[in-house]
Amino acid sequence: MGKNVLLEINHMSKGFGELDVIRDISLSVREGEVVSIIGPSGSGKSTLLRCATMLERMDGGELIYLGERAAWEEEGRCVYAGKSRRKEIRKYFGLVFQNFNLFPHYTVLKNIIDAPVCVAGLSKRDAVERARMLLEQLGLSDKEQAYPCQLSGGQQQRVSIARALALQPRILFFDEPTSALDPELTGEVLKVIRQLAKEHMTMIIVTHEMQFARELSDRIIFMEQGVIRAQGTPQEIFNSKDERVREFIGKFAG
Amino acid sequence: MSTVTMLMQLGKGMISTAGIFFLTLLFSLPLGLIVSFGRMSGNGLVRGVSKFYISIMRGTPLMLQLLVVYFAPYYVFGLNLRGYRFPAIILAFCINYAAYFAEIYRGGIESISVGQYEAAKVLGYNRFQTFFKIILPQVMKRILPSITNETITLVKDTSLAFVLAHAEMFTIAKQIAAKDTSMMPLMAAGVFYYIFNFLVAFTMERIEKSMGYYK
Repeated sequence: MGKNVLLEINHMSKGFGELDVIRDISLSVREGEVVSIIGPSGSGKSTLLRCATMLERMDGGELIYLGERAAWEEEGRCVYAGKSRRKEIRKYFGLVFQNFNLFPHYTVLKNIIDAPVCVAGLSKRDAVERARMLLEQLGLSDKEQAYPCQLSGGQQQRVSIARALALQPRILFFDEPTSALDPELTGEVLKVIRQLAKEHMTMIIVTHEMQFARELSDRIIFMEQGVIRAQGTPQEIFNSKDERVREFIGKFAG
Repeated sequence: MSTVTMLMQLGKGMISTAGIFFLTLLFSLPLGLIVSFGRMSGNGLVRGVSKFYISIMRGTPLMLQLLVVYFAPYYVFGLNLRGYRFPAIILAFCINYAAYFAEIYRGGIESISVGQYEAAKVLGYNRFQTFFKIILPQVMKRILPSITNETITLVKDTSLAFVLAHAEMFTIAKQIAAKDTSMMPLMAAGVFYYIFNFLVAFTMERIEKSMGYYK
């Protein structure tokens, strides 16, 4: 397992109007690491993810991918790298959404190959080959020509994972990947993520699936009110002395 | 006038009507998209101007707009334009229909979920690709029923070109009716309009069906 730091966040802050959603969060993720972010609703988990993936502008702090600064502070203000730099930096990561956000007018195959061909400049043949490999890996070989609306939620989410992987990102972010699925379909998506963990894919996962986080993560981060309240190995977190952490985990463990 | 002559005359008018119809669609559909961009612009001035434009175009009669567009060059600027009649008609129809189309586009564009834009952004699509590859095809599918409505209205609105004495079907029907003191030309014109619109509706339904492969 490599030891390079792929993602570094220093003193990130983000507010919406009066409300501070993220307050001074720092964390770094090494190659091959699986980091789960848990915490109650409104704790800032998703905002953290959206700031890290540059879907949301942060107000302060530093965001660094593979040593390259995407955003930093200058004279108390947060500045971002130029458009073309940001475009390059975006190639380092992929994001899997809670609601899949597949393109409904494209077939499964087109969903997966379009960005590699039109954005990354891969030849169509190579893109198709790569897509078919991914589809086979994710057990969707027979769905190549289907449209997203013909698939179950679990299948759609697996396609969206394939779509993200087709661009060969160094880090894969998951924003509550199973929250829109019923328990039966949750399993098939978790299985895929588990498989990726085995292949040492670097992943940052915002999730409510406690048992899953426990079994899979190298590190769990517990967020509350915009700060990292606790972090550590699953064992450390699940045996935490911190009252809030215990209470939260207790609720989910039933 | 014999029925055959009348039908031939009306048929000629029909060609002119179809000309106004197709040219208006050809120009006003893209123009409407541009106006809708203005209407949704982050720039307050651009947005204000677009809003004002739409408000005037929708708030005054098309017949009045036809007259203004045709006579303004002469009355306001003293220009004597030859052969301006037909271009004036197309121009007036285009700027009027673009305003309606703009609002239809806006409704469609705003109905697409933010998630589609975000997915495209994370995958690295630029703004141009995002709009034309991801957003617009979905917008077209959603707004098609509204576009059909406007298109059918346009077929009938072409009859307003009579105020500029352009020889489209309605103008001709009226002339023959007056000359022959007969209802027949008007009835026949009605049938022509109906057939035209039947074809329009039929075509649009086919297009709608062709986009029905996804939800």
